[in-house]
Amino acid sequence: MLTSVTEDMEMSKPSDLVQGTLDMLLLKILALEPMNGFAVSQRLKQVSGDVLQVSDGSLYPALHKLEQEGWITAEWKTSEHGRRAKYYSLTRLGGRQLEKEADNWGRLSGAISRVIKLKEA
Amino acid sequence: MRPEHWMFTIPLRLRSLFRWAQADQELDDELRDHLERKAEEYFAKGIAAEDARRRARLDLDGIEQTKEKCRDARRVNWIQDFVQDLRVGLRMLRKSAGFSAVAIATLGLGIGATTAIFSIVNAVLLSPLPFPKPDRLVRIAFNEPGLGLRDVPFSVPELDDLRNRAGVFKDVSTIASNSVNLTGADHPERLEFLVTHSNYFSMLGTTPQIGRLFGPQDFALGFAPVVVISDGLWRRAYGADRNVIGRTVRLDNDPYTIIGVLTPGFRHPGPTVSGNVEVFNTAGFSGYPAPPPVRGTRFMPAAIGRLKPGITLEQAQARLTAMAIQIRHDYATNYPARAQWTIEIQPLQEALVGNVRPMLLVLLGAAILIVFIVSLNIANLLLARASGRQQEMAVRSALGASGGRMIRQMLAESTLLSAIGGVAGVLTTVGTLGLILRLVPSNIPRLNEVRIDWVVLAFALAISVLTGLAFGLAPALQSAKTALSSAIREGARGPGYGAKTGRLRDALIVSELAFAVVLMVGAGLLLRTLRDLLQENPGFNPTQVVAANLSLPEPNDPKTDSYLSIAQQTSFNRELLRRMRAIPGIELTAITSDLPTTDLRFDYAQAIGALAIEDCPVESSLDLRAERIRISPDYFKVIQAPLLRGRLFTEGDEDGKQPVAIIDETTARKYWPTRDPLGRRLQFGQDPTEPRVMVVGIVKDIKNDGLDIAGIPHIYVPIYQSLHKNISVVLRTSLPAKILEPQIRHEIQSIDPGLPVFNISSMNDVLDRSLASRRFSADLVGGFAGVALLLASIGIYGLSAYMVGQRSREIGIRMALGARRWDVLKLILGKGVVLASVGIVAGVVVSAATASMMASLLYGVHPHDLLVFLAVPLLLFAVAVLASYLPARRAANVDPIFALREV
Repeated sequence: MLTSVTEDMEMSKPSDLVQGTLDMLLLKILALEPMNGFAVSQRLKQVSGDVLQVSDGSLYPALHKLEQEGWITAEWKTSEHGRRAKYYSLTRLGGRQLEKEADNWGRLSGAISRVIKLKEA
Repeated sequence: MRPEHWMFTIPLRLRSLFRWAQADQELDDELRDHLERKAEEYFAKGIAAEDARRRARLDLDGIEQTKEKCRDARRVNWIQDFVQDLRVGLRMLRKSAGFSAVAIATLGLGIGATTAIFSIVNAVLLSPLPFPKPDRLVRIAFNEPGLGLRDVPFSVPELDDLRNRAGVFKDVSTIASNSVNLTGADHPERLEFLVTHSNYFSMLGTTPQIGRLFGPQDFALGFAPVVVISDGLWRRAYGADRNVIGRTVRLDNDPYTIIGVLTPGFRHPGPTVSGNVEVFNTAGFSGYPAPPPVRGTRFMPAAIGRLKPGITLEQAQARLTAMAIQIRHDYATNYPARAQWTIEIQPLQEALVGNVRPMLLVLLGAAILIVFIVSLNIANLLLARASGRQQEMAVRSALGASGGRMIRQMLAESTLLSAIGGVAGVLTTVGTLGLILRLVPSNIPRLNEVRIDWVVLAFALAISVLTGLAFGLAPALQSAKTALSSAIREGARGPGYGAKTGRLRDALIVSELAFAVVLMVGAGLLLRTLRDLLQENPGFNPTQVVAANLSLPEPNDPKTDSYLSIAQQTSFNRELLRRMRAIPGIELTAITSDLPTTDLRFDYAQAIGALAIEDCPVESSLDLRAERIRISPDYFKVIQAPLLRGRLFTEGDEDGKQPVAIIDETTARKYWPTRDPLGRRLQFGQDPTEPRVMVVGIVKDIKNDGLDIAGIPHIYVPIYQSLHKNISVVLRTSLPAKILEPQIRHEIQSIDPGLPVFNISSMNDVLDRSLASRRFSADLVGGFAGVALLLASIGIYGLSAYMVGQRSREIGIRMALGARRWDVLKLILGKGVVLASVGIVAGVVVSAATASMMASLLYGVHPHDLLVFLAVPLLLFAVAVLASYLPARRAANVDPIFALREV
């Protein structure tokens, strides 16, 4: 599950975000540079300021689904430690999908903001 | 999804599919890699190595679950799962090899039998006739519904009306079946012979194998001097010699030239006597030896036609009916109003196979019932096994398998079983189809077209799939519904006879019994019909009577006919009788023109001629008909048919003397209801110049037309006073037919070497052969019923034994607490009795409701025959009780100490 965590970890409750949002975020991370699964979740946590954290149990199924859809592709490389690791990178199709989803997200979040900002009568 | 996206993902999906094992390994590697990195991270934060690794694992929520979710994410999953299910299923089948073998064997037999029968149904009933545009072909019949007659003979002008006046036919042809003597070869042979108009083959769209077929150039007023022969005759008599075209063949002493040979697959689409027409001839039916072509001279037996394109059957029928009314009006003298002469057309296929349809469908239904029962048995056994695997299911559920997945797994197992069973069935059919076709009575048409084609295979596949679903669904649903906790709680002993499982199994047993009842009732009715017919008094004594058939030739040129006049025929007949009597062991001899139950003609209307009875007013005498049979004086003595009144024929009743007749009871009752027929006179045909025949005797009714046909009036006349060329000689003797055969043949051929003698057999065999078709259905359905009974009893036995096994602990406790043997028996037996009763009652209800569908196959037996409906339930009940008693007895005899110890 992708959880959004507020600053005070002890007192917050995780809230669920839609699966599609997770896909979009993963694609964006991989758009920056190719990396393996562990690194993706680290990076996401880092750039979101610890707000967005993916549970390990959801990360890999999501990555495999993205790979199945052809939005990311994988390669086995020998990592720094001499181990074999699977590195994902964005495909052209993935790039287009990311654009599309980002657009949708923009529209959605804009609409939500507008509603929330309405002044009470 | 957009097209290019699809194309891009296909390689990925295919990769998932084919390199599944490798992909699985990679997934494993990927997750382990992740765990190591996570552990390193924790380690770097200061957590101990052991703890770090544990935390990392916990974070992942279970490797196996995550793996499963990843696999799910690759949506090609279901194929991989299916393949894995099949592999596991195969392993399970191998583990319980005994059960699998029995299940596959019974399935194979059931599916094999059903497929074989279906292949016959497919070829005979479902496939269109093997001619171009076969739905345009029709059989034409002339009926006189006012007199209750169908298929009356017709005249040449009436056929011409069809051709020229009706405007509905593209082609019309008469078809006249006959048999001829083939002479001039090694030995004379009797062949089946068909005479048609010259457009017969072009109407059917047939092409020859060698030579040519009839065409307009073969038109002749009488018989054209050309013949087309069948492939069978070509191989048999001419050794498949390709130079056979142009050779002469002598049929009934007339020479014909062979102009063509038909293809091996060709069959005349009409009823045949012995199986296949061997010789085809064409005629114009307007010149000698046909009678003059006037409207009132009706001698042609049957016709077929091809409708013009664009006209439907209904439209054509309407036009023909209208034309018939017009003709009746235009030629009123030829068409008495009372008869209401009309023309009827029927699709040719329907005419050909219509009367075997009920029998074939009953057989198919019986076979399908057997397959059902087999499936139910297997379902029961699988359910028993499934309840033993509940623990396995629980563990798998804990490991992340979804309910749907487990259902699919069980279904895969049963699909595998049914697939193997289906393959076994098809192999059985392939191997035994030849044998089965030989056992099927030969009066079923189109048997030569029976083959295993893709329709039959599709049927076998469908049956296999259905049986797989039938016996797979129950245990599959059962196991998926099993609550996790209750299954594990059951303990090492394994789950007991759960209530839910038990109900389903009970339902299956009850259904099995019901099906078995239906089959047994059907078989009982058919067997009873057969037995009644066999015991039916034919009106004479067929034991110790031997019969032989011969045919005097009918050459077209009267000058070459040595049996033309009554004097010549009488002299032959007398010589024949003399020689037969001289054979040692023969007591009495006689001749008849119609051997009982061997009507070589197909429609009674043709055999039955019109009568005119003296002292009867003219109008009411138009509907008088009777079958005329020619006999020699000793006939009734040979077959021991009792004479009721008057006298038998003597040698003195010959040509030139007063024509006489002997009538049977039916004729007497029908035409002289209030007066004494003896001494009265009648006349055959409407022609007033016909001689008046005097009735001199009355005999008891003889079942001349078939053991299951009654009510046709017969009039016997002396053979010395009439012309007839197809005769049978009957001999009263205690010697068997086989021994007498060579002598009979020798004697007859000493009189005339060109005479073929055929069908020499005992009268009992003749009667048996007439029931061949009924015997076949009764035997087959009887066999099915026996199998059903066996399967149902195995089912009950298995259930009972299983119950005993599961509850042996409980039984031990009960007995230790003081239960008597009888109480234990009651416990186990009670269940069996209850199930049996419910099943039998259900079966009886279904049988009662559906038995009337079989009515057309029964004779003298009511579809709700009391004897059958009582005997079957009693028999099945007794068997069911016995089957549940045997394991119960074992249980009751067990020392309670042993039962308790097994805990």
